[in-house]
Amino acid sequence: MIKPTPKWLLSPAGRALAALLLVVALGLVFNADGAFFKLGTHRDTLRQASTYGILACGMTLVIVAGGIDLAVGSVLAVVSVAFSLMTIHGGWSPWLAIPLCLLLGAACGGVSGGLAAWCRVQPFIATLAMMVFARGLAKTISGGMKVSTAVQNTDGTYRYVDVPPVFRAIDSRVLSENLSMVTVIFAVCAIIAWLALSRHRWGRYLQAIGGNEEAARLSGVPVNMAKLAAYMACGLLAAVAGLCQAAQEQQGDPEAGAGYELTAIAMVVIGGTHLMGGRGGILLTLIGTLTIGYLDKILSINAVPESRRLMLTAVIIVAAVLTQRHRRV
Amino acid sequence: MRTTSRRICQALLLGSMASLAGIANTAPDAPPPAPAKTPFTIGMSQCNLGEPWRVQMNADVKAAAERQPELKVVFKDAQNDTLRQRAHVEEFVGAGVNLIIISPKEAQPLTEPVAKAMKAGIPVIVLDRAVLGDQYTCFIGADNRKIGKAAGEWVVKKFGGKGKVVELKGLMTSTPGQDRNAGFREGIAGSGLEILFEADMKWLEPDARKEMESALARFDKIDVVYAHNDPGAHGAYLAAKAAGREKEICFVGIDALPQEGVAYVAQGLLSATFQYPTGGAEAIDTAMKILKGETVPKKIVLGSRVFTRDNLVKGGDLIN
Repeated sequence: MIKPTPKWLLSPAGRALAALLLVVALGLVFNADGAFFKLGTHRDTLRQASTYGILACGMTLVIVAGGIDLAVGSVLAVVSVAFSLMTIHGGWSPWLAIPLCLLLGAACGGVSGGLAAWCRVQPFIATLAMMVFARGLAKTISGGMKVSTAVQNTDGTYRYVDVPPVFRAIDSRVLSENLSMVTVIFAVCAIIAWLALSRHRWGRYLQAIGGNEEAARLSGVPVNMAKLAAYMACGLLAAVAGLCQAAQEQQGDPEAGAGYELTAIAMVVIGGTHLMGGRGGILLTLIGTLTIGYLDKILSINAVPESRRLMLTAVIIVAAVLTQRHRRV
Repeated sequence: MRTTSRRICQALLLGSMASLAGIANTAPDAPPPAPAKTPFTIGMSQCNLGEPWRVQMNADVKAAAERQPELKVVFKDAQNDTLRQRAHVEEFVGAGVNLIIISPKEAQPLTEPVAKAMKAGIPVIVLDRAVLGDQYTCFIGADNRKIGKAAGEWVVKKFGGKGKVVELKGLMTSTPGQDRNAGFREGIAGSGLEILFEADMKWLEPDARKEMESALARFDKIDVVYAHNDPGAHGAYLAAKAAGREKEICFVGIDALPQEGVAYVAQGLLSATFQYPTGGAEAIDTAMKILKGETVPKKIVLGSRVFTRDNLVKGGDLIN
């Protein structure tokens, strides 16, 4: 006699939550002499996960529509370099630099989306090309060096400038030091993405496209425009992540974000969004982000050596996915 | 079936992604404007320009070469691809350059191409990483273990032999990571310094910040952070600053690039940084000697300097 599965476990969110609870339970057991019970640990976990989470929100929009965006890590790097060049070296006002950076990210996404929608290039290829191009662009505009507060004069010597106030503002904390600003930014991004995907017509279009693109087209969904918008939104969110990355590193690193796209995809999929499109949501991605974020933190506070950390991560991810596997009779 | 083949296709693409990403590593290696008289051409093969340190190495070679009017240097970037670097050496031999400078990615696969260049009568200077055997003209490099040891001894002296240390390690599968770790342990051996927490931050600043946050969450008293590179030390500093504990901790890094470690020391973020010299200028000096027919030593170990707030103005102190 098998017990019937509790109802809450049958919903995708419930299953994702079970995986998160599994990871948190690990933290309660392996609490590293009580470090896991400190408020600061959770604040730092959320800070660390926020950049990835912002990328994952954009990734969710694209994946729900049956696509994929491999370029987010590179776009993050381009934007972090551009933002640093504008604000640290150029001394531009953030009111000018931030919109330009967001535009840059959206443009990168737009190119991928345009290629995928109208030129019928497979999203994998289109965004792979953008991933390579954007990385090259980041290296080109930075000259291969990190854009930091040490500014090279024409005679080869260096002068030091202050970290721009906007960097300090993004890397600050609110709620009497208990919440990082980047986490607030992540939350805002997640809410907007959730509203768009679950409450707006565009979100239903994306789900329809991901479910069956041809059927969506025949039912009058503006498939190409909706797809383009998804990739642009993904690029825009990658730009937001790039701003956060630059502020947290206090520099623009052309090598930043390498491999972040895979973490973002993992967060989306662990949350329970289908990699083939059609089904999924921001709430699931949020839970997936927390699952990976907490896993990372628990391994870190216990000072698990890198070699074992990689293997443990793989095992726990598989365990988490298995707990939330769709059981059909 | 269609999905299966699509998946196979994607798997294949994932494989090619790595090599494509390598293409992104291309940095502009514009040939220097040819001076009126260039009797000597040097071919310089860099294993990758993805790291600021190697960009600096090329910049140092270029700056030193510009002081020699009869010298022309052709730069090539192997984008972290061993076989591409092997092709560089063969191309230089084919082009008949007067001398080759190579900073090899790996020893074994590049040993033979270098030996062949030597057989063709072209002297080869090997920079930073070695090749096997003795078929090269001169090896120039620094000693990571010695630098790590100097860092350890500096910390012992600064803290009177007592204190609690966090070590943020570079990739421990790389020899610089291993040597900077072993050297530091050697330097602090026998003292009362205790390693509280150690983690692999893979040379990456965001990872260093994350690991430092964990260390701060676990331990109420940390005296020193020893990071295997300056970005790591900077990441740790940012974590401590966010926790309001940066004043009670002394941060030590390695590499001392002008725009990284030295800048951080100048700005008062790091207490010390230990230079890992690129050897770019020394390579050109040695090349000029070889080209003029002088004899050069088979191995040149570069001296390192320590930069602290007090000695920054005079350009750091030499480490013995």
